[in-house]
Amino acid sequence: MPYLCTKAGRQRWRQTVLPRLAALLLLGFFAPAGGHSQTADTEKAVPILSGTAGFLTSVTAGQTLLDTQVNPVLLLPFGDRWLVESRGEFEGRFQRAPGGGPFGGPVNKHLDYLQVDYIANPHVTITTGRFLTPFGIFNERLYPMWIRALQPDPLILPIATAASDGTMLRGGFPVSRRANLNYAAYVSVASIGVNGVESERHVGGRLGVFFPGPRLEVGASWQKVLQDDRKNGLGFHLAWQPSAVPLSVHSEFVRSNQGSGYWMEGAYRLSHLYFWQKAMRRTELVARGQQFFSGNIRSDAAQQLGLPAANTSETDFGINYFLKDGLKAVGSYGRQLSSAGNFNQWTVGIAYRFLTPLGREGTP
Amino acid sequence: MKPVPILLLVLLAALAAFAGSSSKKEALETPVVHATDADSMRALGEQRFRANCGRCHAAPQKFPPRATATVLRHMRVRATITDEDMRLVLLYMTQ
Repeated sequence: MPYLCTKAGRQRWRQTVLPRLAALLLLGFFAPAGGHSQTADTEKAVPILSGTAGFLTSVTAGQTLLDTQVNPVLLLPFGDRWLVESRGEFEGRFQRAPGGGPFGGPVNKHLDYLQVDYIANPHVTITTGRFLTPFGIFNERLYPMWIRALQPDPLILPIATAASDGTMLRGGFPVSRRANLNYAAYVSVASIGVNGVESERHVGGRLGVFFPGPRLEVGASWQKVLQDDRKNGLGFHLAWQPSAVPLSVHSEFVRSNQGSGYWMEGAYRLSHLYFWQKAMRRTELVARGQQFFSGNIRSDAAQQLGLPAANTSETDFGINYFLKDGLKAVGSYGRQLSSAGNFNQWTVGIAYRFLTPLGREGTP
Repeated sequence: MKPVPILLLVLLAALAAFAGSSSKKEALETPVVHATDADSMRALGEQRFRANCGRCHAAPQKFPPRATATVLRHMRVRATITDEDMRLVLLYMTQ
């Protein structure tokens, strides 16, 4: 393409050829594929109300906190390709006032996401609205109380996970018999500071490869903030469930201007033990190790984001007992070490996942 | 043009290339998917269920078929599971 050697040629390329090429590419990519409707007629999707309810009691550095949460999830499918989904968060955090007295505190309300999904074809889903930012795996996949193996958040969770208001392309498809690729690319165009609906302007993406054989997923995330310091964040994640043992390993690493760190967690179901099998197969032991390293922001700004004010290490051990489907009792102990102070954190509680169809359910 | 849109374009191009090639390869290289035997399909569905859903959470009970269809559409978006895996898991969860 010799005309690219001249300034006028390059300008023509940018103004005419490139947009047409992009349009052709997008047309081909988003074209609905025939015969790819989601379900058979007998299994048409029905609206459902699902979510999590939980009650936790935690003692952190001697201070008791009663934490009650209800996180309803509403799913409204339309046709074979559309889904409107939303999750709210209602959380009461009750503590005794210094010096004693009754427990009291705020009840926070927060809209986690309200998004419209369009399944354009087997490779692309277009999402618009408020959505969870796909940076790493904890924020999108492991956050609900009934899913997470340990109830305390990882220290690095606040990094690059501010809510997104904009649009996103995502999908997953096989690239070979041994590997599936999954991706998400998003842009958040709104910066909202109203309490309960905060968001920021940013652009980013996540790319992951899942190997179904060894049940291993590895991936990377990137985000550039389009406001304030306009810094980049970079993350890596790993999820591994070996077939031979009932072990589940998750890990994330993040590096950003706000701070850096990692966490690695293993959850082992005792279903392989030969004694007390009825109880053992319902029991899960968990361990998590993590470190946080302060970034280039002031310590008060870090605390405002929910990050530790200084370099911090933490180790947690927990036990979960699955009472029935969707209902589990949880308990954990953690020790946090930091130049700002060392302390223990005990947590006990119960988490419940509910699901109610809001229409005709079909044949059970 | 700024670097960010160019990067997005390159990402889309790479994905489009993967998308185009993968569906043809799958048709040729994954004969097991085309198994007609109902038991084989269910077994394959269970395998995909354990591989995909087990990445994040313990196996839930089976829900009514139409509720399961909604949950799987939600999971397809949330967990970016493939179209083929979603169909097989739906088959396993509803039969």
